[in-house]
Order: sequence, then structure tokens, then C-alpha cells
Amino acid sequence: MIEFKNLNKSFGDRQILKDLNIDIPQGKIVFVLGMSGTGKSVLLKNIVGLLKPDSGEIWVDGFPVHEMSEKQMSQVRKICGMVFQQPALFDFIDVYENVAYGLRRHERLREEQIQERVVESLALVGLKGIEKKWPHELSYGMKKRVSLARTVALKPKILLFDEPTTGLDPISTSRVNELILDLSRKLGTTSIVVSHDMKSALSVADHIIVLDKGRMLSQGSPTDMRNSSEHLIQEFLQEV
Amino acid sequence: MTIITKNLQVLGGSVGFFIEIMSSSAHTFRNREEVFNQTLHVFWQSLLTTGFAGFFVGAIMALQFTLQMEVFSALSYLGGLVTSATVREVGPLLIAFLLSGKIGAFTSAELGTMKVSEQIDAIRCLGADPIEEVIVPRFFGIVLASFFLLTVGLMCSLFGGILMASIFAGIPWEQYIRHVPTIMNGFSLTSGVVKCFSFSLVIATLCTYRGYSVRGGAKEVGEGVVQAATQTMISLVLADWVSSLILEELLNV
Repeated sequence: MIEFKNLNKSFGDRQILKDLNIDIPQGKIVFVLGMSGTGKSVLLKNIVGLLKPDSGEIWVDGFPVHEMSEKQMSQVRKICGMVFQQPALFDFIDVYENVAYGLRRHERLREEQIQERVVESLALVGLKGIEKKWPHELSYGMKKRVSLARTVALKPKILLFDEPTTGLDPISTSRVNELILDLSRKLGTTSIVVSHDMKSALSVADHIIVLDKGRMLSQGSPTDMRNSSEHLIQEFLQEV
Repeated sequence: MTIITKNLQVLGGSVGFFIEIMSSSAHTFRNREEVFNQTLHVFWQSLLTTGFAGFFVGAIMALQFTLQMEVFSALSYLGGLVTSATVREVGPLLIAFLLSGKIGAFTSAELGTMKVSEQIDAIRCLGADPIEEVIVPRFFGIVLASFFLLTVGLMCSLFGGILMASIFAGIPWEQYIRHVPTIMNGFSLTSGVVKCFSFSLVIATLCTYRGYSVRGGAKEVGEGVVQAATQTMISLVLADWVSSLILEELLNV
């Protein structure tokens, strides 16, 4: 489904990703864990072409992302929905238009169909009836869920989450985790969740990948992680 | 990196950005509603300040010219001289400074915030081109609104000049405007319009470019706004000098 082959990415003198080789299986929830600055978000942004690799290959559902132009990336972005670390809602339009934004650009739908998809997506994230509200009227947790609704409205095959629980209280964190699990199962998507929250990973993930200094340190099921003797994984587990 | 290299980099970057905006502006018609909204937004945001400043520019210039022209007993030409100078030089430059301070700073802060809060990345991920969707409407909004604001500013300056001439020099309004068409010829008008157009291009390009190039967080947004303001001011003075030279050559006045 998603494949990274010998991926390298640097910013100036700082090499973020080093010869990374990862295979993400279809229909699974994969958590990518690691300390801050290990290149987790960079990895996600490479999938949707927001960043380009220095060398190596990225294959997404058969598309060679590493050699595609910005215009060609539209095909990949249609099947890959990304939920950003920040809610990234557009302040100049209301919730309805925010959720409809991608639909108006990626799909050729009538207004009634768009409305149907907006209402359906907001219901999926538990936010019925807030279509006419403006982003500034919502709490941070609600904004994050609207952002999720905007992404799932396009019915993507792949969902990418960049630290979805950062800045949320424990109750909202658990709600977002349930949402990721629920949406991935309901929509049958492949989900990649970038996080440093081992507790969420152990409760939601099918597969966990741990990055350290731009390289893959370890990968396996939550049970494999629990039994791992790697020092970094042990440190993550101590927080649980 | 030296200041010269940095400034050359900004110049190159903004020229490249301007070309990118122009090549994306084929879709302006599709975004006409957004262009209209932006034009209206810029116009209303700057209307009061422009009108106020225009009024006092006219009044101050009338006052200054009165003191000089009284010596030569040529007060009947006061209105023509004040209006011509305002239309040719002071009006466009003053309105450009006001716009760069108000709308330019606002636009670069807005775009910078959109950039650091990942809204620009979200636009790309949702299948749209941020240049077409966000930059082009704001760019044309500034350019179009500048013309309307110039008109308002000049009318207010004429009114300010008439009022000051009447209070300070006792010149009735009929006498004040009598020589306006004689002195304010086609050159003055062309010069004013060309300068207004070129200044609005400078403001729109630099402020959108600086905002769009922000990387980092709140501190970088602040730095971007300050850089946009200072670079726009300097570029406006340079653009004024260059456009004056070219106009003098072209129109041979």
C-alpha cells in the first residue's frame, strides 16, 4: 500500500531521514512513534508530497510519489487524507464550507450531495448541527474533530494523522483514539498515526514502528513492543 | 549573509513570486467573487484613513503654497498647483504608504499565520493551489482597491485644499478650482495613475510574498510583518523615483 525505499531527507546540514525502508500494509492502523525531531511528521509530509525526498522512493497505492509533479499529486491527495498536528481550519469560512472545501475541488458533486457528505462527516466525528458555526467559536478539541471530518468527507483510502492527540486533555485524547479506530474500521482505510503517545499506540494500533534519529529502530505488534528490550521503547513504556 | 545578498534574494524571490501570481491569475475570473470581497475588504479597511490623510495633505499643501505664492501675487493658481502636485506625486505615494502600513501588514500577518498554522498545507492536501485560492484574490484586491482609494484620497485632498485656501487666504472655491484644468494636465493624471498602479503592484507583491514565505512560528510571523513593512516602504520610494524618471522620458515633460 505505502512503501518507502532508501528514503533520505535533509534540511540544510541536518539529515532527518536516513535510508529508511518501511512497508505499510493495507487496511491496518500503523503508529509511528519516536522522540521529537526524529522525522515522523517529515515522513507523513513526504507521502502527500508536501515535502520531497532528497533520494529514495515512495510508493503510495501504486503511485511513484517521489517523481510526481505538484499537479500530478492531486491524484494521490485524493486518496490520502491528512489530519494535521494543528486543526488548520480556514478562519475565513464557516464549518460547512471548511468540510466542503475538498469536496468542491476534488469531486464533481451537486450541492445537495455536498451537503449530504458534510452532514454525514460531521456526524461521524460526533459534531452534528455545527455547520453554521465559525472556527473561532469552537473549542480546540472540536476544531480537531472538524478537521478530521474535512478529511474523511473525501472518503480517502489512506488516513494520515500527525500527532492527533497533542494538546488535548486525557478525555479528548481517548475520544480521538476511539475515533481513529472507529473511522479506520468503518471506512476500511489504512491509517498512519504519527505520535509520541505509547499508551494510544498500544490501545489502537495494529502495528507500531519506532523511529530513532531518522532510522527505523523497531517494528511489530503492540505485544512485540511490550516485550521489546530496546532502551527507547522501554522509556516509552514507562510513561504508560 | 550580507545585507546586499539578503536583499537581492528578496528581490529575486519577489520577482519569481510575482511571475507565479501572474501565471496563476488566469483563474481570477473563476475567483471573481473572492477578488470582489478582497477589494471591498481593503477599500473599507483603508477608506477612513485615506480620506482623513488626503484631506490634510490638501490642506497642508494649500497652506504651504499660499505662503510662497502670496509673494508673487499668484494666489489664483493655488488650486491648480496644489491639485496637480497631489495627483502627480503626493497622493499616490501617501496612499501607497497608508496601504502598506494597513493592508500590507495585515495581509503578510494573515498569510504568515496561515502558513505556520498549516492552513496552506491543508489547502494543498485538499486539492487546491494556495496561490490561486489565497494569494491571487488578495493581490488583485489590493491593486483594484488602490485605484478607488486614490480617487477618494484625491477628492478629499481637493476639499481640504479648498477649505484651507478659503479660511487662510480668503480664496473662494470657484477661484480655487478655476485653474485646476489648466495646470493639472494629462501628464499629471497619467503620472498619478501609473504611479498608483506600480505602487499597488509593489505592495501586493511584497506583502503576499513575505507572508507566504514565513516559516516557523509566531516570532517568524512578527519578523515577516516587520520585514514586509520596511521592504515595502523602501521599494515604494525606489519605485517612485524610477517611475518619475521613466514618465519624464516617455512623456517628455
